[in-house]
Amino acid sequence: MKRLFSLALVIAVLAILVPVAGAAPPAQGEEYIVRAGDWLSKLADKYLGDPMAYPAIVLATNKKHGEDATFAYIDNPDLIEPGWKLWVPSAEEAAELVAAPKGTPYKIGFAPSVTGGGSFLGVPERNTAEIIIEQLERTGGVVGPDGVLHPVEIIMGDTESKPDVGVSLARRFIDEDEVVALVMGSLTPISLAIAEVAEEAEVPYVSMASSLAIITDPDTGEMRPWVFKTPQSNGDVAAWQVERLQKLGVKSACYLYENTGYGKDCFKNSSKAIEAAGITTAYSDSFERTDTEFPQVAGVEASGCDVVIVGAIPPGASMVTIALRDALPDIPIIHGHGVCTEDFITTAGAAAEGVELPCSAVIIAEDVPGDHPQKAVFMHYKKLYTEYTGEPVSTFGGHGWDGLMWVLDALKSLPDGLTLEEQRAAVRDYLENNIKDWPGTAGVFTLSPEDHYGLTAESFTWFKVEGGKWVPFPKEQW
Amino acid sequence: MNQRVGVAKTESKWKLSRELVGKGVTVAVILGVIAFVLFLGYKKHFETRHYLQLAIDGIRGGSIYALIALGFVVIHSVTGIINFAQGEFVMLGAMLCATIYHSDLSLPPVLKLALAIVLAVAATTLIGVVLERITIYPARGSPVVALIIITIGATITIRALALLAWGTRAKWVPAFTTLEMEDLTFRFGGLIVKAQSFWIWGAVAVVLAVLFYFFERTVMGKALRACAVNRRAAQLMGISPSRMSLLSFALAAALGAIGGIVLAPATRPTYDMGLILGLKGFVAAIMGGLVSSPGAVLGGLILGAAENIGAGVTSAGYKDIVAFVILILILLFRPQGLIGGGERAVEEG
Repeated sequence: MKRLFSLALVIAVLAILVPVAGAAPPAQGEEYIVRAGDWLSKLADKYLGDPMAYPAIVLATNKKHGEDATFAYIDNPDLIEPGWKLWVPSAEEAAELVAAPKGTPYKIGFAPSVTGGGSFLGVPERNTAEIIIEQLERTGGVVGPDGVLHPVEIIMGDTESKPDVGVSLARRFIDEDEVVALVMGSLTPISLAIAEVAEEAEVPYVSMASSLAIITDPDTGEMRPWVFKTPQSNGDVAAWQVERLQKLGVKSACYLYENTGYGKDCFKNSSKAIEAAGITTAYSDSFERTDTEFPQVAGVEASGCDVVIVGAIPPGASMVTIALRDALPDIPIIHGHGVCTEDFITTAGAAAEGVELPCSAVIIAEDVPGDHPQKAVFMHYKKLYTEYTGEPVSTFGGHGWDGLMWVLDALKSLPDGLTLEEQRAAVRDYLENNIKDWPGTAGVFTLSPEDHYGLTAESFTWFKVEGGKWVPFPKEQW
Repeated sequence: MNQRVGVAKTESKWKLSRELVGKGVTVAVILGVIAFVLFLGYKKHFETRHYLQLAIDGIRGGSIYALIALGFVVIHSVTGIINFAQGEFVMLGAMLCATIYHSDLSLPPVLKLALAIVLAVAATTLIGVVLERITIYPARGSPVVALIIITIGATITIRALALLAWGTRAKWVPAFTTLEMEDLTFRFGGLIVKAQSFWIWGAVAVVLAVLFYFFERTVMGKALRACAVNRRAAQLMGISPSRMSLLSFALAAALGAIGGIVLAPATRPTYDMGLILGLKGFVAAIMGGLVSSPGAVLGGLILGAAENIGAGVTSAGYKDIVAFVILILILLFRPQGLIGGGERAVEEG
């Protein structure tokens, strides 16, 4: 009886084991083409017998990517696309991969304006960096072309919207933390100050502020070798605004801008372009972000201009729009790309109706046509951001995304065993020469030694607020 | 003996003529400023209605300064402290009101707003009380300067906590009249007045009336005043200065919160709105000599109108300059405030 029972037990155990044995890990590892409905832990469960073993697939695929670019590179274990070629390792290979010695860790210094006047930009940027940090933790870091996994640490800081704090943070990142690259500065004045430090120390630096002055050498007018930036330039905004003004057939324009680096840069670029187009600036004035009264509106009214252009970010931009709408219900109001966020509509309410501006199409990711080169990055970033924060996506966080992704892409190209100086130089060279037709949230970037920004006015879409929504308003409809 | 009387006489004559000259200079300066403003406005094609519009908007902002200034006056006259956290009470009032209003309570909007207002005032008052107990009370023996610096520390702390609690995004409170984000707008003769402005002015009027009743007709209010006139004597009469200090902070916090709440629908409150409002309220309080409530209110209204007109005819960049030039002028030439009076005048007299 007892023997019979043992036999039954053995049979039962075998019966349970057999199906598992049927999908035993391949002895050699094998290619796998992603099909719709796949996800990594499902594949890990099927091939390696453990859903939590997915990092091995990520690692193996990323390693293969270095040898053969037809293999996908997995940045985010939650996101694999149908048609991607993965490498599913054998069990031994998986164990080996996980245990393999890691390459030198890379550090990236990241510091937006989490607090202070630029916090409106800095907070989404910080959230974005947190999303990327989480991804890096799960993938273990980046895999170089030689298949070595390098852990990546993004060191967070806060410039407090002050240039001096930004500079001392940059120095600390460079000297004490020994970072490979800097991604810092939500505001122009801070970025200008950090750019000096980065140039001097010869560390690649990606700014998240918009002014072209950041990447331009003030003496020679050429590109600063070590400095890059991701946001669209106000010059490109101005080009769109002028085109729109000419279509509207206005003779004089009023300009209101926020008394910040961004606002002043908007004004500088737009007023220059507007005057060049033969439109007079009848009135211009600045305002403060925290203003509650807008005496400027009386000036706008008295000047009798045909259109008002605003260079600001919410909530200041919203308040000035409300004040303008109250006094001048019919005047066209055109903004810059600083209000490219749901927050502008929620804080300005009905006054936002009819406001026009150029903006990245990321705010309407779902409605972007499928063949748009940025569709994938829009959808991916928007999904990650809204899931992580529960807040609507803005273009500002996207500047951080683009910057960090540039640097991570550059790090993926580095072989193991470089000194810190070599790493820094290689990252710089990669950014300058290898970011080509690179779809980011702000546009499709093509960097070159002559252009450390790499976008054109084409990266914008012209929008109008209609029914409390951002609606594309293409030139054909003007 | 005779000689000394003669000296006194010439001195008083001298004083009289000096006063006359002083008044003449003041009038000339004021006329000069007005002429300059009109000239600048003329260059910008301003009409009368533009000046009126600027004045109306300025007085609306000035009313908020007035409420903040009252808070400064109440605390200063009782404790001698200048409480720089006054502006943060405004922020707390506005932000708490917005937060409570947008919470998931299933109430009709009117009740929800009323509840939000009451709770926001109560909570801010409580914060004022707690602030006094944990920062000012333990250091009550210290020199006034130390206490003032403590309030600056409290300001920074409150703002940082607000940033943690609310983040940097602006909030909104519905207009009291429409209960929506869009307010009712009255237009007459080219002038625009939002319905919320009337709520603001009404709130200032009611607050002034209640304060007047409180200080003149209630025992507690009289005790506060007694403490303001002479702390030591008040203590001897059985009035506890520590409790009066607590009461003054509660009162000031409530005043600030009311200011923030009525202002909230006219702007979009953020965690850092308190700083500049607090400073402007301080200027207004100085215009009232730091001790006179009517002076503080008048100061707030004048300050609001002056800086708005000043900014309108020049550039908005000069808005704060107008306020702080007024501050310096008042401190140099009329430290007792616009109206004068109060204990400082008593001390000097």
